[in-house]
Amino acid sequence: MRNGPDRLRALNVPQRVQVEVDGRGTPAIVKRETGSATRVEAVGEMWRINDEWWRQPIVRHYVEVVLEGGGRLVLFEDQITGEWWMQKP
Amino acid sequence: MDRYLSPPPTSSVAVCVWIPLFALRCEEARRPELASQPSALLAPDASRRVVWQVSPLARHAGVRPGMTVSQAIGLCPALRLCEPDPVHYDERFALLLAALARVSPVVEPAELGLAYVGTDGLEGLYGGPEQIVEAIKRGMRNAERGAFDPASSSSSAFRVPRSAFRVGWGQGKFVAWVAATRAKPGCAIIVHAGEEGKFLAAQPVAVLPLDPDAHRRLRQLGLRTLGQLAALPEEAIVSQFGRAGRRWWRLAAGATAEPVVGRVLPEPISVSLTFFTPVADREMLVLALERLIERALRHPRRTGWRVQAVRARAELERAASWLAAATLKDPSADRDHIAAPLKTRLAQAPPAGAVERLVVEFTAFAPGTAELQLFARDAGAAARAGQRRALRSAVQEITLRLKRPMLHHVIEVQPWSRLPERRYALIDYEP
Repeated sequence: MRNGPDRLRALNVPQRVQVEVDGRGTPAIVKRETGSATRVEAVGEMWRINDEWWRQPIVRHYVEVVLEGGGRLVLFEDQITGEWWMQKP
Repeated sequence: MDRYLSPPPTSSVAVCVWIPLFALRCEEARRPELASQPSALLAPDASRRVVWQVSPLARHAGVRPGMTVSQAIGLCPALRLCEPDPVHYDERFALLLAALARVSPVVEPAELGLAYVGTDGLEGLYGGPEQIVEAIKRGMRNAERGAFDPASSSSSAFRVPRSAFRVGWGQGKFVAWVAATRAKPGCAIIVHAGEEGKFLAAQPVAVLPLDPDAHRRLRQLGLRTLGQLAALPEEAIVSQFGRAGRRWWRLAAGATAEPVVGRVLPEPISVSLTFFTPVADREMLVLALERLIERALRHPRRTGWRVQAVRARAELERAASWLAAATLKDPSADRDHIAAPLKTRLAQAPPAGAVERLVVEFTAFAPGTAELQLFARDAGAAARAGQRRALRSAVQEITLRLKRPMLHHVIEVQPWSRLPERRYALIDYEP
C-alpha cells in the first residue's frame, strides 16, 4: 500500500517462507528467505481468516509455532495459492 | 483584568472576511507543491485519524472531511496527507486579524479563517462601502506580502493566494456572512441597507446555523429558501423548532442584525524612571532600561498580551530628547527579547547628553499564548505542534545527511481489519 513514492507504507507485511509439512499438514520445517532451515518444535494455536469473498477472496490458515531453540513464529498458508508466509499476529 | 478595560467596541454594519480551508491554505503557503496535488489535513484531535480539510482536487476525487484515512486513500491513491499544525494556523490567523485591525478597531474573530470587521463610522476615513471593502482587501493583500509590519517587510507575514479570501458586507453579521459565502474568490458582495430582505430571500436555508436534523426537517416541510421560511408566521416556526426556530426566522427575515463585537485592546503601558543625577553611562542606561521593561511587563494590563511595539524615550539635559522605537517581528513577553532592539539602538545612536528621565512604553500588543491557542482544538494538539517544531530541525538534518527523511508516523488505516497488514501504515514525517 503506497501513497505516491515513499509516502504510505503498510506495516507488518507478510514475508515469504518455505515450509515443509508433516503428514497431518502442520509445519515441520521452516526455511526463511535467508536460506536457514529450522525445525518446528511445537505447534500452538491455529485459526482461519476467510475475507473479501465478494471481490478477491483471501483465505488464510494461520499456525503459531515454536521453533527449535525457542523462537516463536506465526505462519500462514495462503489457501488459494498454496504459498506459506510469516507474519506477526 | 476587566477593571482596566473599557467595554468592547461594537458595530452594527459588518464586513465578513472569509478564507475557506484556512488551515490547508497555510500548509500550501509553506509547501507550494501541495497546491498542484490532491491533499488533505488530518484532524488535530480525533482519537481515530480522520480527514479534516480537503483540497478541491481531493474533493473532486471524492474525498470528504470526516472520512478515515483508508477511505480517503481508497478513493484517491495519490492523496497527500498532512499532519495539522494548529499553533501555526493560529499564528497566521493572528497576523490576519492584526492586518484587519489596521483598517478598523472593531474586529471579531469567529473561527479559523473567518472574521468580522465592524465598519460603523469608517465612512469619514475611507468613503462608501465600496471604498471600505477595498481598504479591507488592500489590508489583506498587505498582510499577504508582510507589508503591514515594517519590521518584517523582508518576509511574507501571511501568504495565501489572493483569490483565497471572500468578502461580504451587510447590516449585521449574518447578512455579511451570507454575502461572503456567495462572493467569488477574491471578490466582495455588498448588500446595501434596505436590500437585506431581497438578498436573503433567494438564499438556501443551508446558510442558517442548522444542525443536520433541522436541515432535513426544513426540507421535508418544503422550505428550501430563506424567503419561504420568512413567509411563514414566526410563531409557526417557533412551535416546530422552539427558540432556535425563532432565531432562524428572524435571521431569514432580516429582522435581527447581530453586531460585530470587537476585542478590547489594552491601552499603552508607560513606566518611567527619574535619575537623581543625570546619567550618561551607557551600562547604567541599559540596566535602567531592563528594569523599566520588567516593571512594564508586570503591569496588570499586560496580562494575556504579548508586546508588539515598544518605545524608549529619554529626557536629556538642556531640554533635548532621545527616542528609540521598535516593532517586534515576533511579539514577546520576554524582557531580553523586548530590550534587544532598544539596546542595539542605544549602542548605535546613544543619547546626545546625560539622561534625566527615562521612559519605556509598550504601544501595541498581540494576543498572548492562551488566546493564540483559541483555535487549537485542545492543549494536546498545541503540545503536539510544539513537539513537531522541535523535531523539524532534526528531520532537516537527517534529510540532508541521508537524502531522505527516516522518521515516520504510524497511522491507523483499518485498525479493525482481520488482515494484520491492513491495520497500520507508516507515513513519512514531513515537518
